[in-house]
Amino acid sequence: MSEAPTTQVARPIWLSRIALGIAAVYVLIYPLISSDLYYQNMYITSLVFAVAASGLNIIMGLAGYVSLGQGAFIGLGGYTIGICATRFDSVSPWVWIPLAAVVTGVVALVLGVVSLRTRGPAFVIITVAFLFLVQVIAVNWKSLTNGTAGLSLPLPTWSIDIINWPFYYALCGILALQMLLAWWIQRTKLGMGLVAIREDETKAATIGINLPVEKMLAFVASSFFVGAAGAVYGYYLTFIDPRGMFSILFSVQIVLSVLVGGRATLWGPVIGAFLIEWINEVANNDLGGGNTRLLIFGGLLVGLVLFLPTGILPTAERLLSWWRTRGKAGLVGARVETGGAFPVAKDREPVPALAPDVPLLEVKGLERRFGGIRAVDSATLAVPEGSITGLIGPNGSGKTTLFNLIDNTLRPDTGEIWFAGERIDRLHSWQRAHRGLGRTFQITRLFREMTVLENVVAPQRTFSLSQLGRIAVSGAEAERARELLDFVGMGAFAGQKASDLSFGQQKLVELAQVLMLDPRLILLDEPAGGINPVLIERMSEMIRELNRHGTSFLIVEHNMPFVLDLCDPVHVLARGRRISTGTPDEIQADPSVIDAYLGEDFLAPQESRPSRDREVI
Amino acid sequence: MEPFVQNLILGLLLGGVYALVASGLTLIFGVMRVINIAHGAFLILGAFVSYTVWNWLGFDPLLCIIATTPVIFAIGWVVYRVIVSPIRDAPMSSTVLLTFGLALVLEAVMGFIWGNNSTSVRPSYADESFTIGELFLPKAQVYGGLIAIVVLVALHLLLTRTWLGRAIRAAASNPTGAQLVGITISSVAALVFAIGIATAGAGGAIAAILYPFVPGSHYQWIARLLAIVVLGGLGSMGGAVLGAVMFGIAETMTAAYISPAWATAVPYAIVFAVLLVRPQGLLGTKLRDDAVAA
Amino acid sequence: MAPLLHLGRRARSGITLAAVAGLALAACGVGGGDDGSSSDDSSGPITIGASLPLTGEFSQPGQAAKQGYEVWREMVNADGGLLGRQVNLTIKDDASNQNTIVADYNALISQDQVDLLLGTFSSLLNLPASSVAEKNQMLYVEPAGGSPEMFTRGYKYLFFTQQAPVDRQGEVFANWITQLPENERPTTAAYPTLDDPFAIPTSQGIEDILAKNGVKTVYRETYAIDTKNFDTIANEIKAADPDLVVNGAIFEDGVGLIRSMLKADFAPQWLYQSTAPSLGAQYADAIGAQNTEGVMFAISHAPEAKTPGNPEFVAKYQEMFGGLPPEDAADAYASGQVLQAAIEGVGSIDDQAALADWLRDNQVETILGPLSWDENGSPEGDFLIGQWQDGQVEYVLPNDVATTDHIVMGWKPGDAS
Repeated sequence: MSEAPTTQVARPIWLSRIALGIAAVYVLIYPLISSDLYYQNMYITSLVFAVAASGLNIIMGLAGYVSLGQGAFIGLGGYTIGICATRFDSVSPWVWIPLAAVVTGVVALVLGVVSLRTRGPAFVIITVAFLFLVQVIAVNWKSLTNGTAGLSLPLPTWSIDIINWPFYYALCGILALQMLLAWWIQRTKLGMGLVAIREDETKAATIGINLPVEKMLAFVASSFFVGAAGAVYGYYLTFIDPRGMFSILFSVQIVLSVLVGGRATLWGPVIGAFLIEWINEVANNDLGGGNTRLLIFGGLLVGLVLFLPTGILPTAERLLSWWRTRGKAGLVGARVETGGAFPVAKDREPVPALAPDVPLLEVKGLERRFGGIRAVDSATLAVPEGSITGLIGPNGSGKTTLFNLIDNTLRPDTGEIWFAGERIDRLHSWQRAHRGLGRTFQITRLFREMTVLENVVAPQRTFSLSQLGRIAVSGAEAERARELLDFVGMGAFAGQKASDLSFGQQKLVELAQVLMLDPRLILLDEPAGGINPVLIERMSEMIRELNRHGTSFLIVEHNMPFVLDLCDPVHVLARGRRISTGTPDEIQADPSVIDAYLGEDFLAPQESRPSRDREVI
Repeated sequence: MEPFVQNLILGLLLGGVYALVASGLTLIFGVMRVINIAHGAFLILGAFVSYTVWNWLGFDPLLCIIATTPVIFAIGWVVYRVIVSPIRDAPMSSTVLLTFGLALVLEAVMGFIWGNNSTSVRPSYADESFTIGELFLPKAQVYGGLIAIVVLVALHLLLTRTWLGRAIRAAASNPTGAQLVGITISSVAALVFAIGIATAGAGGAIAAILYPFVPGSHYQWIARLLAIVVLGGLGSMGGAVLGAVMFGIAETMTAAYISPAWATAVPYAIVFAVLLVRPQGLLGTKLRDDAVAA
Repeated sequence: MAPLLHLGRRARSGITLAAVAGLALAACGVGGGDDGSSSDDSSGPITIGASLPLTGEFSQPGQAAKQGYEVWREMVNADGGLLGRQVNLTIKDDASNQNTIVADYNALISQDQVDLLLGTFSSLLNLPASSVAEKNQMLYVEPAGGSPEMFTRGYKYLFFTQQAPVDRQGEVFANWITQLPENERPTTAAYPTLDDPFAIPTSQGIEDILAKNGVKTVYRETYAIDTKNFDTIANEIKAADPDLVVNGAIFEDGVGLIRSMLKADFAPQWLYQSTAPSLGAQYADAIGAQNTEGVMFAISHAPEAKTPGNPEFVAKYQEMFGGLPPEDAADAYASGQVLQAAIEGVGSIDDQAALADWLRDNQVETILGPLSWDENGSPEGDFLIGQWQDGQVEYVLPNDVATTDHIVMGWKPGDAS
């Protein structure tokens, strides 16, 4: 059920398809129509960089992990073919290309495992260290790689007129495969997960995204075909040595290609690669050589980061999107519709009922310190299955910290957490999500660059590799997401970018997002905070509706009427520990609760205020 | 036994020079959350400037530090204002790419100005050593190491005993709060960046008499510097010094007892090991990653 | 396509793509590979193309090689040209980068459509460049890529114009050492070597000869190309206490090692270094003129040699560029001479294979002496051995081309004479 393009955009889309088609066909037939070796060489180099850039895009554009070591994969491919071809010289070197892909994928996997705990700048540093380390190994492991003297491959044995053709078309084929892979990933839940990781990694974990597995898959996907391309390139050059194959300038060129073309686009890295290689050649030939090229590459990097951080394609898209939509009222200010009944998931698996006395969620003696402050101090509470349990307390009593402990955003110092009779305090966030634990945030954490629909499609109910491969943008998953969006009343906003929404709208979308997990228990962090009364009413209705269909709730709130109307039982937290539990009526009358909220010296308004004439102010 | 002691001392002296330069790098990171990949390039720039001053004026190259450092400081200030300050709030990976681009630009400019031939500065005592018993301590290394330590101590005093130093540390821990108490963040940031770059320049002036260099030498330096600050803990000055000394010794010992060929692998192996086992380094602090950007 | 970039993204990509494609088409010129080449025109100039590292880490020898080619061109044209046609040189800059040199030679062949090729500096660059030439069946005469790897590929168009490949460069020196009288001969030797496809075979070649003749190896290590700190290495060598140090070096590292040895107060009885000592005043300045006394090295060219054309070459170089020609310039000039000899020997430039065959069958007299090659393009002659004496370079071996009979028996640093 994808949106049909309106006539306004039909023409540009066809224009673009034609232009793309022409360019692609031109590149494909170039060797057939021209024997200009120089340009064939340039296109071959550009193709190699295009594969590498498209691969880098998966880990950098989608997942947001900037890598300056992508060039190493080209080198690994080159060395694989070099080593094998020189050892087994009776076999045609072409045989080794798939092996090069596998070897590169394995090394990428190892790198991925090794760097799982690093993020941001530490990750960039590790990729640079990786590149240099591989180079050093290539230099020193002389028995394998012949060290700095390098390896020589046999010259092509076929006719001089078509001498570059096999390399050229092999690379075209590899590029096609790489782009197919990138395109497929972007459409699947794996791709959604990667973008979620880029936007907000911790939040992604809480909606069931298995961080290490997805990251490693991204690594392998970003390197596999690059290794193959490297092997073809090595064969084409007939000479492989550490300095040529593992030059840091390769990596810089690849990063530039992705930046110029546009991160997270399909064709951007490819266009970028051709563009940058052309600039590279021009800098070398026409503008005076080595230092000029450095100046241009460096200047481009600086300029792109400063002025065009998203790259050509996304920037152009933004500009044209602005041009298309100016003067039109956005959806965002419109009133939110009321949704319908809750659409129960059709493939809901029956869950074994809990024993009568076993609560759905139980927290025992949880403690969490920040320096000298005990945010959560031996907290113990339980949430019965099927209930809407409230959690109230003055500011700073540790409510949000408690939530963070329950969903593993934070690790406790001591204590136990039990969910559905199973101890979960050692489990990762996504494992808890897979067991049916969902959570919203006090300040909404949607994935800003994704649309509303994509945000709701991103969560993963269970973990399996086949689940990752499911198409997210259409089909059953998208269908389900739309149902949930309709339920919360945000159905019309499906195509809107999440960062454009108002706070209340974001809250609704976050709820829909959590519902995608089909959770048994939802932790709601201040669902009524910062939204208008109509919406609060609607929120209350939805919670009841969901509860009727079997979802339990633990709600943190400051809005007393909301809590006392909705929740039973209610826990009261003060200074990190539970001081009272009971029905709403009991809580209201409990002196220790009043004391915690208001303090000993507070006098109730009816008693303390001296009667005076009402003055009009 | 003497070769061991000899190598140890050489490692320590080397570590002193590394410590000076690394402290600038970690200072910049600690205050501004910017990983300055161009630090090595500024070091080489300092070496070239020092070479030029030595060539023209004939001063002892180590005294040229007095001339070189302000020049590099000024360049750092300008670079900050023009290039770095616009992206202060950008994600860290952007700053890494930006400073990498800056390093390439610097390399190109140095190539245009000074050419790509190997350059070295040879003071009169370049080949002499102090002899202590069986130990030979090359004079250049000793002088260089001592000067590095002096500058490092001066930097430390600046940061801990002066108003400026307090302002810097305030800006590092809480920019908004610092502004509220009247500290002009942008000026402090520019100063910090310039100071950090100046340490690289000073280190370059020292390195110029120790090793020959070309514009492309910055890669080896930044590789080592990154390893050092990662080892010591990003943002920790004490960590940078400790890491630098350990690194200098490790490099020297590997060259002596394993093989000179594998000595260049040391920085990268260290980076990997540290980021795997203890990502915050020896003395760094763990960043709270549960904090939501409100 | 991906919904992440919805509605209109394809339009944008299309427009940009169209622009890029347009640019590319424009840059290509239509249809490339058009004929109209000057090689058909038998009275116009002959174009010879080469790519040299004019910038980047090999820029110094690259610049020297360019000078050598230019001197050759001047002299050939002044003499009436090749086969009566003037010679034009097209020289590109590969920035010491392998990918660039491949692109450059492809450009020379298909865009500039040169008639003939000349080679570049350093084996690392000559290896991929010679592949391009071989694939296109064009003669490739090169002045500075002598690593044994060059000659194991069975190439038929490749010719290296120094006297011997790199692994035999120090042969004359090694043989001379072995026939020294017992009381003067070194008994132990150390081989610190730069990890480089040039330096390693050179040092290995010497070690092979010496080890077989009773000179014991007490230290053999390679150091990485970016090694800065030689103090540790110098200390190790000192601890091994060799009579002879053979340092396979390029320049910076050779200088660094000597300085470190001096700092450690260690001077082996004999010192042989590759390349660095052949760089004249630059070397003397770098280590101090007083420290050069007695250093021995192999070199392909001596400005004073009485080889055919040498005095004219030296004079012309002095006229064009001032000062004595560096070795790399002389080697480049010799390449020009070899190419010229082949062309004049065959009588035409059309058949590259015939040129190659002629070179294999004939000896060429050059300013480096007589050059001849085996079937792999590997030259079969002997290098000169030079030695610094009194702050000057003298050529001491082989005896028939030596400039002096006196050989300083060992390295004597600090002797200001």
